[in-house]
Amino acid sequence: MPFLLRRFFTLLSSIFAIVTFNFFLFHIIPGDPIRLIARTQRLNAEAIAKMRASFGLDGSILSQYFRYLSKLVHGDLGYSFSFKENVSGLVGRALGNTLLLLTASTLIVVILGIAIGVFAGSRQGKKSDTATVISSLILWSMPTFWVGMLLVFTFGVWVGGLPISGISTANAVYSNGFEYFMDISRHLILPTVTLAIVDIAFFIIITRTALIDVMSEDYMLTARGKGLGRRAIVWRHGFRNAMLPVLTASALYISALVGGAIQVEVVFSWPGMGLLMYNSVLARDYPVLEASFLLTTVAVLVANFAADLLYRVLDPRVAVSK
Amino acid sequence: MSLLEIRDLHISYPNPKGEFFAVDGVDLTIEKGEFVGLAGESGCGKTTLALSIPRLLPRGSHIGAGSIHFNGVDTTALSEEGMRALRWKEISVVFQGALNALNPVHTIGSQIAEPIRIHDESVSKKQAHDRTLELLEAVGIPARRFEDFPHQFSGGMRQRVMIAMALSCMPKLVIADEPITALDVMTQAQILDLLRSLCDRYSLSMLLISHDLSVLAQTCDRVAVMYAGKMAEQGPTSRVFGNHGAKHPYTQRLLSAYPNIKHERKFIDGIPGYPPDLSQEQVGCRFADRCDVALSRCATEVPELIDIGGGQSVACHLASDIRAGVQ
Amino acid sequence: MMKRDRTSANHGFWYFMGKLWADRMGRWGLIALAITTFIAVICPIFFPFDPSKVGADAASILTGPSKTHLLGSDELGRDVLRQFFTGARISLFVGIMATVISTIVGSGLGIFAGYYMGRLDGILMRITDFFLVVPALPLMIALGAIFGQNITVIIMVIGFLSWPRTARIVRSQTLSLRQRQFVPRAKSLGSSNLRIIRTHIVPHVMPLIVANTILVVAGCILSEATLSFIGLGDPDRISWGTMLHFSFVSGAIGRGAWWYFLPPGFGILFIVLGFTLVGHSFEKITNPRLGGSE
Repeated sequence: MPFLLRRFFTLLSSIFAIVTFNFFLFHIIPGDPIRLIARTQRLNAEAIAKMRASFGLDGSILSQYFRYLSKLVHGDLGYSFSFKENVSGLVGRALGNTLLLLTASTLIVVILGIAIGVFAGSRQGKKSDTATVISSLILWSMPTFWVGMLLVFTFGVWVGGLPISGISTANAVYSNGFEYFMDISRHLILPTVTLAIVDIAFFIIITRTALIDVMSEDYMLTARGKGLGRRAIVWRHGFRNAMLPVLTASALYISALVGGAIQVEVVFSWPGMGLLMYNSVLARDYPVLEASFLLTTVAVLVANFAADLLYRVLDPRVAVSK
Repeated sequence: MSLLEIRDLHISYPNPKGEFFAVDGVDLTIEKGEFVGLAGESGCGKTTLALSIPRLLPRGSHIGAGSIHFNGVDTTALSEEGMRALRWKEISVVFQGALNALNPVHTIGSQIAEPIRIHDESVSKKQAHDRTLELLEAVGIPARRFEDFPHQFSGGMRQRVMIAMALSCMPKLVIADEPITALDVMTQAQILDLLRSLCDRYSLSMLLISHDLSVLAQTCDRVAVMYAGKMAEQGPTSRVFGNHGAKHPYTQRLLSAYPNIKHERKFIDGIPGYPPDLSQEQVGCRFADRCDVALSRCATEVPELIDIGGGQSVACHLASDIRAGVQ
Repeated sequence: MMKRDRTSANHGFWYFMGKLWADRMGRWGLIALAITTFIAVICPIFFPFDPSKVGADAASILTGPSKTHLLGSDELGRDVLRQFFTGARISLFVGIMATVISTIVGSGLGIFAGYYMGRLDGILMRITDFFLVVPALPLMIALGAIFGQNITVIIMVIGFLSWPRTARIVRSQTLSLRQRQFVPRAKSLGSSNLRIIRTHIVPHVMPLIVANTILVVAGCILSEATLSFIGLGDPDRISWGTMLHFSFVSGAIGRGAWWYFLPPGFGILFIVLGFTLVGHSFEKITNPRLGGSE
């Protein structure tokens, strides 16, 4: 499979590029992160030297770079001064929580977004379509974190009823696994809804436009000519073709999703990569910021790789000709 | 009873200037087993007329007056459900440009088989599959290509797929809209032969649309020539395309643009001027501005389609004068 | 930009304004933009915000709307309405400046890649794709955290990370222009490449760039709000995002101080929606193929 190989090679080279970029970003450009830290925290010379070594900042740039690479390969992401813990452990836990949040909201976004987008697109120009488009544009124009703040205000202060912070109730004792599961699920509701609200708008608009484009294709007329019902025309003939441009836009979506997740985690104190990033910014904890940035980016690259593969599966034209 | 009888049909589209009268009072009859050709420049309303039969016109288009009787049933009065039952089962279409008319993400086999089970629920999957294989064989595509996708076929092969698809429910009428336009000359002849022989074999009627008169001359029993939304002339192919058979100046100009139907080809935009703007109200003969032999009354009086004998009818003041003179 | 546009499409600025006004979405967008621009430009002159003018005692902190403070006070007892006016100015300023950078970089790269094609195109597009895929917000946060909290850094960070889409769009348009007749003809007449780009390419991609730019402003304003909310805003120049940051960290939500976190949020929604509507409407006008979409 030459395509798979080639695409995989692109993925690897992108990851390599981002690793290198990451190295220069945090080790070279700001001059010296230690000085930045020393500016905010009073440190003596001995502490600075120790820190310098732990950052891998002794020796030439090239040797620093290779040391950085070999550490990375061994899963050593450094030590966090603000959390007093190895970064890899911190990041590992956070990644799981973020994935939980992303999976939940992506499911909602994809299912509802496609359904609503197809609904609107197949009723182009009608009132229900116009209403969908306008509400989507309004939702899209709201900052994700502000939507979160509104929900926190509504469900935490005004009406109440749903947990607005964290992933589980503090100091809770669970009698069984199901209770624990339910507790997490309840905590998951508002962050998921917040993240879904804004991203679903994006998805609706893209799906709608794609479907409208497809509806004017000749093969849709063929489908009508065959005597198919409206539903079969839209779903069997229009939908799969409309999904191709939607998948092409998935890179944008994935980027938006990650950006949204960071904001949501901050607002709801969801202990994931975004909150970790936020806290490391506040504490100027560079090893943590660096690792969470690197990991997030690599995850996005891998997600895009997966989207590309899915495209090949859905579109027989590329699958065979390449 | 004729298979298809269109009477005084009017079709209009909304456009920025108001309304565009694409088909303006057209009659057309097709008998069972008959091949009828429909000719005319692009934009003359021939595709609109054809697609109005299975009611596949774009949204917004409007059948203003007139009737379409198919097998005795007035289809303009049918509900959408009723029309759906007729589509493909009774009236199928071979669309122009099969690459775009075939869905790129489904195999050609499944696309051919699809309408079979929609219109007859008693057919099993296996039967539909077998039927599709027969159809593929009939159009000359090997059975092993059942699972292939449209983009894996050449233009001619795709048009064969399209033909197999059009025949999948054994309709009574096949509408072929410029079926060979995008193909090279050799393939054109093959596809045309195939279409003709299959319709013959299953004794289907066909409405063949083409701007290429030689194609119609080779294939059809009868031809109809449209100009600017109206029927200009129609009659048996042998008469209209025969020596001095064409009576309408437009038909004559079209034919003279093809000095030798079988050999050298020129294109029909050899007629100076443009067809009239159909969003305006029309006065007199629509061809008058481009006609060398126009009379003064051509600018004011609309010529009626008159039977001039031998099954031929013409919408031209000159022709009616000729007939009056003869009588 | 509008001036250049006039020569390009043979239509003046007012022609497009009229077209936008005739479109329902465009009209609402223009109204939203006019109102926000008025707030951003005029209001701070008459109601300046003085960050040092803090409340005298605890009783003046986070108070609800009253005669002295029409939109209440913040966690330091300062007037929220005056802050809101200034915030409009900073949000709009950062959004527009970042867009200028993004448009120059994006259109420049797009035109050069599309015009020269070949290897240059390959390299530039690899870089573009890389930045298209790398998630913007984490990168902005990383850069913002490293280079410090000031308005120039924020403008640069947002501007230099928002160009890839523009580059992609402009490149494909340039590429299709390049294939047309007039480029080889101009070349055979001895025009230099730069001259051809200036006289033949730029005028034709301009409507596309303008439409795209309007949409980029919306994105840049949202990015600014998000970065400021994360805590990377310039503390001396309060934008709507910064206001939301302080309202969040000061616990305004928990205390039900809606007058503090609702206005800036609605402000952002209002202006982003305004730019989005105008952008979509403009796209429809310059690209009639999209005309049927509403």
